[in-house]
This record gives sequence, structure tokens and C-alpha cells, in this order.
Amino acid sequence: MKDTLKKRKNYRVIEEINTTITMIIFIIISLFVLYPLVYVVSAAFSPGTGIASVNIIPFGDGFTAKHFVRLFTETLYGRWFLNTLYIATSTSLLTVLITSIAAYAYSRFNFSLKKPFLMSYLILQIFPSFVGMVAIYVILLRINGLDTLWGLVLVYVAGNLPYNTWLVKNYMDTVSRNLDEAARIDGAGHFRIFFSIMLPVAKPVISFLAITSFTAPWMDYIFPRMVLRSVEKQTLALGLFGFVTDKKNEFTTFAAGSLIVAIPFIIFFLLSQRFMVNSFSGAAVKE
Amino acid sequence: MHNPLPLDGTGEKKVVRTAVLFMGLAHLLWLRDTVKGLLFAAVEIFYIFMIPSIGKKLIDLVTLGSPQPELPIKMRDNSIFMLIDGILTIVLLIVFITLYIISVRSARQGYREYCRKKRPMTMGESFSTTLSKAFPVVGLTPSFLLILVLVVVPLIFSASVAFTNYSAPDNIPPNNTVDWVGLANFKTLLGGEASWTSGFVRVATWTVIWAFFATLTCYFGGLFVAILLRESKIRLVPFFRLIFILPYAVPSVVSMLVWRNLLNGTFGTINRTLMALHIIDTPIPWLGDPLLAKIVVILINLWAGFGYFMLLATGAMTAVSQDIFEAARIDGASRFQVLRHITLPLVLYQTMPLIIMSFTYNINNFGAIFFLTGGSPTVADSTITSAGGTDILVTWIYKLTITLLKYNYASVIAVLIFLVLAPFAVFNFRQTKAFKEGDL
Repeated sequence: MKDTLKKRKNYRVIEEINTTITMIIFIIISLFVLYPLVYVVSAAFSPGTGIASVNIIPFGDGFTAKHFVRLFTETLYGRWFLNTLYIATSTSLLTVLITSIAAYAYSRFNFSLKKPFLMSYLILQIFPSFVGMVAIYVILLRINGLDTLWGLVLVYVAGNLPYNTWLVKNYMDTVSRNLDEAARIDGAGHFRIFFSIMLPVAKPVISFLAITSFTAPWMDYIFPRMVLRSVEKQTLALGLFGFVTDKKNEFTTFAAGSLIVAIPFIIFFLLSQRFMVNSFSGAAVKE
Repeated sequence: MHNPLPLDGTGEKKVVRTAVLFMGLAHLLWLRDTVKGLLFAAVEIFYIFMIPSIGKKLIDLVTLGSPQPELPIKMRDNSIFMLIDGILTIVLLIVFITLYIISVRSARQGYREYCRKKRPMTMGESFSTTLSKAFPVVGLTPSFLLILVLVVVPLIFSASVAFTNYSAPDNIPPNNTVDWVGLANFKTLLGGEASWTSGFVRVATWTVIWAFFATLTCYFGGLFVAILLRESKIRLVPFFRLIFILPYAVPSVVSMLVWRNLLNGTFGTINRTLMALHIIDTPIPWLGDPLLAKIVVILINLWAGFGYFMLLATGAMTAVSQDIFEAARIDGASRFQVLRHITLPLVLYQTMPLIIMSFTYNINNFGAIFFLTGGSPTVADSTITSAGGTDILVTWIYKLTITLLKYNYASVIAVLIFLVLAPFAVFNFRQTKAFKEGDL
């Protein structure tokens, strides 16, 4: 009797030590994780300009909103934001439209060279998109797409087409053909079937596609840097990067600008976390 | 109306011959498939009109123009336009040949149909069959054009540039022309000029080391945290989990640029904090010393990347059936034993393909290096090659293209990366749902 009591007591002590150690580990990781994030927030509201003038204690310099005001009055931040929003929205819409209609054709029709096309998509999607950077530059130069937002949109849409087409095609393959057969007997044409039956049924994969193609352009740097030259056509990533180059150091303005973009991203991510992880792993890897 | 075409299938040769003679001729002459025939004929007529310009573009592709220093810059031969146009022309020719084959096949099929029906098509039939086949053509044309012009042609172009001398200062159009140089660039980078070769070997080695450690630290870091979160009895677990995901949710441009400033050697916050606390006397050059910078880069990548693997491992652990745990508990297994012999193997098995995927991702992880260090610090060969101590191949390609204008070397590196990564990419794709469930 006494023995088991002692054992139980020992067990509880071990358990408590374990919990304490875990707690300490968690706190250390949290500090490591939060340190730069807290610092951005504090810098965004701190009165100084460069990183050197920012207090090492977060929020140690008092509180000001002047960087936010400066962003919208003295810099082209609003313009960059609208440009990026335009690029992201157009990329998302065009991707959904072009990909889904191509995927529908691959999923429901038999035509010559269907297999070779699908195979070549597979091969194309393994190349990283930066490989063709110089050629894309020259092609855009020749079709007057340089320094235009639509040029960049075309690059984004085209770059992901091969993989996206496969993704949507495979989803559509799982949709029963009875649905469109019934509609065809009722006299609906292909376009009708596509828009009023296929698109609604494929909604999960379409919304996944819309979200991923909407979020990707926000923080891309390589292609905007190459395609967009004039100041008023910059995107957010380019503009923010410009605040903290070697030539000028406006860390606090950068922090304020970053905060405005990052917060919607974080909120959206946390809300859709479960859905996104499921779709990501689901789309990428089969259990 | 008299139709000389036999109905017993013996006329196939004749039909095919006519179809080969001119696109769409068989459709018009024998099968009365007027709509399709006219469309095919239009394609061939279009290409016939293009012949002079196609021929010129092909010759230009071979010569890449000749230097004309006596002409004003605008009128000189532009080799790069010639290269792109030549590639586009070849692609267009391939499209033409494909269409030709399709037209001949269609004619043969049309003949079999004709034998079955024992009469040629009426105008209405021709119209409606063509229309019913129009959907895939109309639906695929935009995506086909985009892929052709902005994916296929650029890839072929890049591969071609690797065999030219397209580079600053002497071969940049429109001032000067570019020439084919065979394997010279590969020779320079893989075993010729001292600083280029040593630079290439150094950057390539670091790229592999970087990708290896970046993947492993994030993977095991994420797995470790996920297990701790699951096994601990702390009430705050959801709260901690939320904190740990934050870095993954922050766009990497933002977080890496923030770290870059915090770690700045002279006025960065971390050094100032450490000095204020009297832990160090002189600032530590976090990103200024080649070796230290490499370690810091991997550590910061751990900061950014462990949340992703934590999420995946958590997902994989919750997916493990509860029955297995129940059975193990009945058999008297301790919590540690369950973890060691059931949970871990299952999670490892499920997430293993992701390690390889993440490895290939890190080889090309432009953001993690470029925004954090910009490739610096400078090392011995940096003045010539522009590659710094933490530059990986991708960021080096970027610098070669944007700053040095050495397009030829950039292309060689891109080609080499592709050759090395292709097997991994094939492996990755074989793991995806798209491949396993998709029928070709």
C-alpha cells in the first residue's frame, strides 16, 4: 500500500518536472518566434527613422502614427497597394477562367494529341519559372508588355498553367459524367454545361486555385523587379524593399508598410489554417 | 451527283494521298466536309504566305546576325530578337506539322465514316460536326498560346543562351551581336578560368549544404514541437500553437528584411541589446563573417519554416486512427513506447515525401537568402563572379542576370540546376495526387 503511494507520488513529481521543462521550452521558442514580430510592430509606431535610432526595448520611444500617415501622403504606398491588388485579382480571375475551361476540355473530350499534351504539361511544370527570365523579358519587350501590369499578369498566369490544369482536370475526372449527360439530353450546350454544372460542382478546387493564385503575387519580387520599371507601377514587395536598401534606411516606414500587408495575411491564414493545410497536403501528397 | 470514291474502303489510299498533297483538299474534294476543309486549307495558305519570312528567321537563327558597326544602333542586327524569333518560328513549324498530321488523320477517319454511311456529308452535317468539336479547340487555345509563348519558348531560349556568348560587356544587343560558342561557357564554369570555376564549385556546394540543413532543421524542429504540443498536458497548448504558426503566415519578404535589420552588424538591434546587457563588448558581425552568416541564415530559416512542418506533423498525428492507441494501451505500452513505436514511424512515413519536396524547394529558395543577406559577405572571388558567401545558385543567377549581365553563365547554371533537379522533380510529381489518381 505504502509502496504504490510512493510510486504514485514519484510519478507525479516526474510529471510536474516534465511539464515545467516543456513550459520552459515553449516559452523560449515563443520568445524566439515573437522577437522580430514584436519589433516590427514597435518600430512601426516608433518616432525614429532608421533601425539605429529605434529603442532596443520594444515600445520604448513612445508612440506615433506618423509613419502610416507618411506612407499614404509622401510615398506611393497607396498606388503600390492598388497595383498589387489589380495584379493579384486579374491573375486569380484569369487563372480560374483559363485553367478551368482547359481542364474541362481535357476531362470531358477526346481529341487528337490529348495524351502528348498532358504529358508535356507534366514535364513543363518541373522547371522553376525563373529559368526563362531573360526570354520572358525579351518577349514582353517585343509585345510592348514591359513596364505594364498586364504583362506581369500574363507571366503569372502562364507560369502556373501546366500544374493548375492537371489539378483541376483531376478533380473534374472524379465528377460523375451522368450530370453532364443528363444536361446534354435536356439540350444544354457545352458552354452551358461548363458554366452552370461543372463550375459549381468543382467549387472546392476552383476556390483553392483562386486563393493560391491571388496570394502568390503579393510578395513576389523577381518578376515585378524585372518587368516593372517606372515608379508609379511598382508593387508592394518592390516598394517595401526600396525602404530598406543599402542606400536608404527607413526601417520604421518599412515596418509600418509591412504591418498593413502582413496583418490581413496573418488573420486570413489563421482563419483558414485548417482548410489550407488540408488542401495543401491534399493537393500535393496523397496519404 | 457522281462521286468516284469507292464505298468498300479501297479508296483510303487515294484520300490519304490527296490529304497529304494539300491540307483540307481531301475534305473538300472527296468527303464534302466543307467547313473543316476550308479551315484546314486556310491554315495551309496562311503558312504558304509565311514561307519567305519563316526562311529568313531560320537563317537568322543560325547566323544570329552580323556586326554592323557602321550603321546606327537602331538598324543593327539584334541577335537576341533573332534568337527568340527563330525559336518561335520553329515552334510554329512544329504546330503546322502537327496540324497537318491531324488533317490527314481526320481525312482518313472521314473516309471510313463515308464508307459506313455510303454517302458524302451534307453541308449541314459538316457544319454541326465541326461545331461539336469546336469546344476543346476554343477552350484550349488561350492556355495553349500562353504556355507556348511564355513557358515553352523561354525555356528553349534559356537553354540556347547557354551555348552563346550573350554577356556584358562585348556582346549585348542592340550595340553588338551575339554568336554561338558551343560548349565554351560550360568549360569556363566547370573547369577553366580559375575564379569562375572555383566560384561555381563554392556556390554549388553551399547550395546543397544549405538545402540539406535548411530542410532537416525545419523538419525535425517542426516535428519536435508538434510532439511536445501533443504530449504535454499544459492548458495553453492552443495558444502556443498559434504563436508558433505566426512566422509561417508572415510573407517572407517582410520577415527576412526585418531580420536583416535586427542582425545588422553595426547598428542592428540584437548587437545593441547584447551590448547594453554587457554580454558582449564588440558587435558581432552576424551577417558579415562568411561562416557565421551561413549558420545565421540556416537558423533564421528555421524560424521561418518550422511552423509549416509543425502543422503537417500535427495533421498527420491526428489522422492516426485512435484504435491503434487503444490497442497499445490495453497491451500495457507506456506513453513513450506509443510515441516511439507507433506515432513517430507513422508520421515519418507520411511526411517523408515532403522532405524531398522541401529539399528541392530550398535549393531554389530565393527569398530566404536574397532578402536576408543579399548574398553577402563578399569573399575572394566576389569581385569577378559577384557571388557572395551566402549566395546560392538561384540568387547568383539573379545577380548574373540583373547586375553583371552575364546571361550566358546564368543560363548554364539554370541548365545545370535543371539537370540535377529533374529526377527529384519527377519523384515529387509521382507523389502527388494529380499523378496517382490522374489517368493520362
